[in-house]
Amino acid sequence: MTGKENILTKIRDSRREKYPMSSFDELSPVQYDDRLKQFMETVRFVGGDAVLLEPGQDINQLIRSIYPDASLIASSLPYVTASLDPDTVSEASDLNGVDVGVVEGKVAVAENGCIWIPQTMKERAVLFISECLVIIIDRKDIVSNMHQAYERIENPGYGCFLSGPSKTADIAQALVMGAQAARDVTVIIR
Amino acid sequence: MKIGLFIPCYVDALYPEVGVASYKLLRALGLDVDYPLNQTCCGQPQANAGFEDMAVSHAEHFEELFREYDYIVGPSASCAAFVRINYPQLLHGKHECESAGKIMDIVEFLHDVLKVESLPGKFPHVVSVHNSCHGVRELGLSSPSERHIEPFSKIKNLLSLVEDITIREPERPDECCGFGGMFSMEEKEVSVKMGQDKLKRHMETGAEYITGPDSSCLMHMQGIAKNGKLPIQFIHIVQILAAGL
Amino acid sequence: MATKHSKAAKQFLRNVQRAEWHDNTLWGVRVKRDRMSRTLPEWEQLREMASAIKKHTLSHLDTYLEQFSSNAQRNGVMVHWAADAEEFNGIVLEILKSHNIRKLVKSKSMLTEECEMNPYLEAHGINVVETDLGERIIQLMDQKPSHIVMPAIHLTQEEVGELFEKELGSEKGNSDPTYLTYCARKSLRNEFLTADAGLTGANFGIADTGEIVICTNEGNADMSTSVPKLHIAAIGIEKIIPDYKSLAVFHRLLARSATGQPTTTFTSHFRQPRPGGEMHIILVDNGRSSMLADNVHWETLKCIRCGACMNTCPVYRRSGGYSYTYFIPGPIGVNLGMARDAKQFSDNVSACSLCCSCENVCPAKVNLSEQIYAWRQSLKDIGRASSVKEAMSLGMKTVFDRPALYNTALKCSPLINAAVSGMGLLSVQLWGKGRDLPEFAKESFQTMWKKGKVK
Repeated sequence: MTGKENILTKIRDSRREKYPMSSFDELSPVQYDDRLKQFMETVRFVGGDAVLLEPGQDINQLIRSIYPDASLIASSLPYVTASLDPDTVSEASDLNGVDVGVVEGKVAVAENGCIWIPQTMKERAVLFISECLVIIIDRKDIVSNMHQAYERIENPGYGCFLSGPSKTADIAQALVMGAQAARDVTVIIR
Repeated sequence: MKIGLFIPCYVDALYPEVGVASYKLLRALGLDVDYPLNQTCCGQPQANAGFEDMAVSHAEHFEELFREYDYIVGPSASCAAFVRINYPQLLHGKHECESAGKIMDIVEFLHDVLKVESLPGKFPHVVSVHNSCHGVRELGLSSPSERHIEPFSKIKNLLSLVEDITIREPERPDECCGFGGMFSMEEKEVSVKMGQDKLKRHMETGAEYITGPDSSCLMHMQGIAKNGKLPIQFIHIVQILAAGL
Repeated sequence: MATKHSKAAKQFLRNVQRAEWHDNTLWGVRVKRDRMSRTLPEWEQLREMASAIKKHTLSHLDTYLEQFSSNAQRNGVMVHWAADAEEFNGIVLEILKSHNIRKLVKSKSMLTEECEMNPYLEAHGINVVETDLGERIIQLMDQKPSHIVMPAIHLTQEEVGELFEKELGSEKGNSDPTYLTYCARKSLRNEFLTADAGLTGANFGIADTGEIVICTNEGNADMSTSVPKLHIAAIGIEKIIPDYKSLAVFHRLLARSATGQPTTTFTSHFRQPRPGGEMHIILVDNGRSSMLADNVHWETLKCIRCGACMNTCPVYRRSGGYSYTYFIPGPIGVNLGMARDAKQFSDNVSACSLCCSCENVCPAKVNLSEQIYAWRQSLKDIGRASSVKEAMSLGMKTVFDRPALYNTALKCSPLINAAVSGMGLLSVQLWGKGRDLPEFAKESFQTMWKKGKVK
């Protein structure tokens, strides 16, 4: 027998009494009347920032105003002015040193600030290796809770729910932003 | 309604006044209370130490003693919880366990069955409530702090019927005092530290008395208070509820 | 009567200041968890659902594992099955060797701890770099995690400062956590860029899609797998859940329970190898299928490794992770250790006052203290029961089985008081320092009753 068959046989031999799947019908998960407000508050609570793109406002100018000192911006979004494209770099490590990465999120979750970012770029390292990260979302894509979010997402091979900057409290439980990945996360809501 | 008064061994030997107060209170509430003789121990200490089989004969004895009563009421949450939760398992394969359905800690009996709405006594003191683990998490005398449920406390509800009492609760309101039967001997240092910490939080409420439904926890903290010569007194909740009787 | 746990706990408590810091800090995490759970009216319902989903999946585990592995293979992932730690380590080494890997960056995985993978790989010439900050700290110190979520919780910032000064060349005397974190960031960034492969654990395997889900706050699992081309993921077979619908429940519970955050910063879903890369998933049994067959203890497998039971455990907080002889401490560790090897790890079952707080915080509703109680009952059969406790229990049984004897004993209780106070040493041995023994009453309740004094 193969290793797989051995393990499966042992499991079958355990003859566990069968339990039915949990019902999801009785669950009425938290819903927010003002999802936008709740989402923006939660993003700030988890250490990020959220800003609204006003009608007619230029997104590149907005990014520039938030990160005036950024010299290296990476993005594969056609409408973002960037000096590096995660689609065309030859290696992921070429993205090291990026000041601001700009990506799009597909679903945003009000209860926990999570934003679903599927891998649409060749090198997803841009999500983690950039010092600062800008995530652009549409306000219509904000849902209240994770149950709704998981109904909506599509995973092309890799996708991440990202909520705020990279953080750690591993030294004496003191919270520090910027452990390994982005130190600073701004969500632009259009 | 016939009530069998259950006085656990250590209450019998160390805190007979708790038994007396229980009897007086139940009588004052107009109940037919009897104390069946030859009670010993419910078997919890042995079982929690890992010798459940040694508790089986106690369970059988207990069943026999209390067979004729409608309710078995005792002033010790932990012992009541043991009878309710563990006896059916101990008697499994022998006979149907009757005690489990009839046993009540005196707090829940007064609160849930008698639904007491007034008490005659006064207790013009500040008390800190000791929410003992098995009372909270096995009998549901108050809402466990871990759970997201509507907060309640049958203990505080009853105490508030006593005139002039001031009721407080410590920070970490239901953290264990560290007694745990033979745990207190096997893990002496941790047990003492838990007790010291618990006592400190009770005293920080400004209480004159620590009170609760379980004399075993009170006994543990009393030992620590005595050793440290700390200015705090201990009183079982039933003694407060029976004040003036 | 003293167990290895109680002896180690005694040592831990000698440094009162540190012990109190440990207790207060972890209690603080418990408080954050409470606060976070109370933001969701459906919290208790979610716990109930999580338990039901796990019970369902575990009782149909063969089906879900097959579904998971065939979907993963369809996604282009290579799936391996390891019966035990040895086989697991062998598979990892084989993959690394076939790619000529010299340096491996890895994110936190309790499974690789369980299999003692790092020393095995290092013995075979692989440079293994832990990338979770806490894990990195203890790796540099050559220690083991003392908590499954906060592995370096036993260390002070000064100790980390001294370590980094020596290992990473940080400023002398600077123990500011922010400064030290950035020093580690810089050093680890270099490791990510120069590693040949990344290894991760997995929090969940999704049968329906064949993907694995990894939750971190630092983003180190993602860093480990988005720069190197080779990704190896180790996952215990009990981590499989049916689908996204189930995942939503666990996602909502995990971080709230673990650290009191509404979510981990990164919840990453790995379904396919990255473009031009390779991905392997190793499904590890290592005793899990035997646990599944254990009618008393199989529900331990519902655990999602959030660590909430440790944070709430009054004993863990006051004895520290190293006082336990199994590599996972706290209530879940007591149980997992016993399931692993009851004879070897029986010293940990003393570390429980049966307060039942753990099972009330557990997001998967594992009946932790009930199981510890059950493990205690099994000690006698495996020759690991305390003879002192047994003698005491037997003594109690002898007296309590004979009401007349008990009654006689009670009448002598004033004598016992005198005797005990005269035997100070014995009382300290049995009852410890800092606590006086209770005193017997002059007259027991039953004596008073018989004399008609109870009115």
